[in-house]
Amino acid sequence: MNTQPPVGNYKYGFHKPEHYVFKSERGLTEDVVRQVSAHKGEPDWMRDRRLTALSVYGKKPLPLWGADLTAIKFDDIYYYIKPTKDKVSDWKDLPPEIRDTYDRIGIPEAEKKFLAGVSAQYESEVVYKSIQDTLSKKGVVFLDMDSGLKEYPDIVRQYFGTIIPTGDNKFAALNTSVWSGGSFVYVPKGVHVDLPLQAYFRINAANMGQFERTLIVAEEGSFVHYVEGCTAPIYTTDSLHSAVVEIIVKKGARVRYTTIQNWSTNVYNLVTKRARVEEEGTMEWVDGNLGSKVTMKYPSVYLMGRKARGEVLSIAYAGAHQHQDAGGKAIHFAPETTSQIISKSISSGGGRTSYRGLVHVYPGAKNAKSKVVCDALILDERSRSDTYPTMKIDEQNVQIEHEATVSKIGDEQLFYLTSRGVTKEQAQSMIVNGFIEPIVKELPLEYAVEMNRLIELQMEGSVG
Amino acid sequence: MKQKSSKMSTLVISHLVASIEEKEILHGVSLTVRGGEVHAIMGPNGSGKSTLASVLLGHPAYAVNRNQKAGNTKIILDGKNLFSLPTEKRALAGLFLAFQSPIAIQGVTVMNLLRTSYQARFHGDGSQAPSVQNPVLARRTLVGGLPIADFMALVGDYARRLNLDESLLRRGIHDGFSGGEKKKIEMLQALVLRPKFAVFDEIDTGLDVDALKAVSMGISLLRKSGVGIIIITHYQRILKYVKPDYVHILVSGNVVKTGSAALAKKIEDSGYKEFTG
Repeated sequence: MNTQPPVGNYKYGFHKPEHYVFKSERGLTEDVVRQVSAHKGEPDWMRDRRLTALSVYGKKPLPLWGADLTAIKFDDIYYYIKPTKDKVSDWKDLPPEIRDTYDRIGIPEAEKKFLAGVSAQYESEVVYKSIQDTLSKKGVVFLDMDSGLKEYPDIVRQYFGTIIPTGDNKFAALNTSVWSGGSFVYVPKGVHVDLPLQAYFRINAANMGQFERTLIVAEEGSFVHYVEGCTAPIYTTDSLHSAVVEIIVKKGARVRYTTIQNWSTNVYNLVTKRARVEEEGTMEWVDGNLGSKVTMKYPSVYLMGRKARGEVLSIAYAGAHQHQDAGGKAIHFAPETTSQIISKSISSGGGRTSYRGLVHVYPGAKNAKSKVVCDALILDERSRSDTYPTMKIDEQNVQIEHEATVSKIGDEQLFYLTSRGVTKEQAQSMIVNGFIEPIVKELPLEYAVEMNRLIELQMEGSVG
Repeated sequence: MKQKSSKMSTLVISHLVASIEEKEILHGVSLTVRGGEVHAIMGPNGSGKSTLASVLLGHPAYAVNRNQKAGNTKIILDGKNLFSLPTEKRALAGLFLAFQSPIAIQGVTVMNLLRTSYQARFHGDGSQAPSVQNPVLARRTLVGGLPIADFMALVGDYARRLNLDESLLRRGIHDGFSGGEKKKIEMLQALVLRPKFAVFDEIDTGLDVDALKAVSMGISLLRKSGVGIIIITHYQRILKYVKPDYVHILVSGNVVKTGSAALAKKIEDSGYKEFTG
């Protein structure tokens, strides 16, 4: 009935005139990589790392599993764009059209509310950031990755690529060769960052790849909650977003990483996220995937030390022409490690969700515990959901649980709710919100509100 | 005058014909109920009692009025014909159905549903209230013109009078509830939503005496406040606690007899034989 192109429904799909200082040629070549590195004034080791990654990228095939990636036109993508001359730390110094874009997604509003620093990324580069004094007083570093490399080269060099090696997968190699932006967070020993660190970014240039690189190091006994939320404008052709996030959780530290992703529906979102968790440390991924054409994302926890704990909470919503291939991985290397993966997916309007997960218990990880729950809700007959759980258990004394459910919204449920005076659309929305509530309640307040609103936007027009 | 007219609501059901899967269940049922009255509809299994309840609220599984010879079907509430309206519009106009076996809906808490439906009923057409589903926003929102704290207190008060465990309010509606809890939750909704006319479909089945008393108390409360009541029941058990003004015997999709409370007593003594033969 509704034959509008999918991106036409995208509420945040406004497009601002582009304004560049530097734009690389289309496609990825050694010259482009050298230009990017030179432009950023990077040390030689990083340039060499990029070049090595480029050759690895060229040799790696596309993954043979997961979503269909054959439509990506790698040669049409701009791999690096720098929109303004310098980073600004004052809101008023931003170019008007960039400020206007942020206004429309509510950044100034958000900034007032956001309690820690805001690092907003616009076209490959962090152009706006404000970090509260309290962070630096505690010795906490919260920078864009480029600045992190400049100001803390030793820390970056020590950890960069140690959690996700260059050759981990084709897209990790791609990111390593052309990464730009992302966040660098360092939390010293014993420091608790009470308020979430929030990065809000969006991308704007047609055909532009977006390759942030994020590195978080949480020293012993520290705590930090990092939040990223994205909304993206319309693109004229397919676009690629391929980020890499590496997290080091030292002994007894705890890191929570929250993402709400709402790319417009022509974006390929192929992200590698992984945390290494040492003794008694805790890593929590909260991952919401609403937008994009294709998402492939499986936040992972590598539980290296005794009693390390990892948790992945994942929500995926696939509407028309979308495929959300999401899930999580928990790798147990040490005794008494525990993991939990909870996935909730919703598909409507012919959309497709896949849960893909791995639990791997290595020999010696005695008394490891893992629980996987994946629930799918399918809103209509045209939509689809699949589950691809993998378990590799190489140790005897372990406790592994796996539950999976698939449900549909029934006519009797709709009749019941409408008999109380709510519309069919509201009834659907109530059921969907109830379904994801266990994960939404883990989000910071602003994001919980946004999540519900985005789900409602997604559902608009999907009720038959 | 104005107050009087709102108290004296009238529901006129005329020539209600309904079929499911080509099989006609109701053959032209007519009934008039006024505010504050209690009507009992009694009948043997399969007589069409529950169909009547579903069709009044516009259940999509039933085809209505295929049979033209039965005349024009109308469901008129205070002069407004609800017959062609969707379910939610009928509810907003003031009809309420307490389900015989209400379906469980995981994740939609009792409180959330009460809030959303109260908002829809007393504040706009229902499409104005999407934000109340959000537990965060809901805390700050007026519900149907009532501050949220007052609304919660209202719900809590009714819950206590029904001797309902208040922790149920925070659970998915009917999800794992016992038979008695389900009936009480249906009654709670009727009390909170203050309909003009409420239909109770087999509200008395599977209840222990205490729960039966609580539910009867609820019906009496509604009746006193001017709500017109239709009690659908197989036995006259609940009618010992709530004395009906009228008793209608429904057999094979037709109302075959209408009488006073004495008629229910008669059914108790000699069953439906007299009417089915």
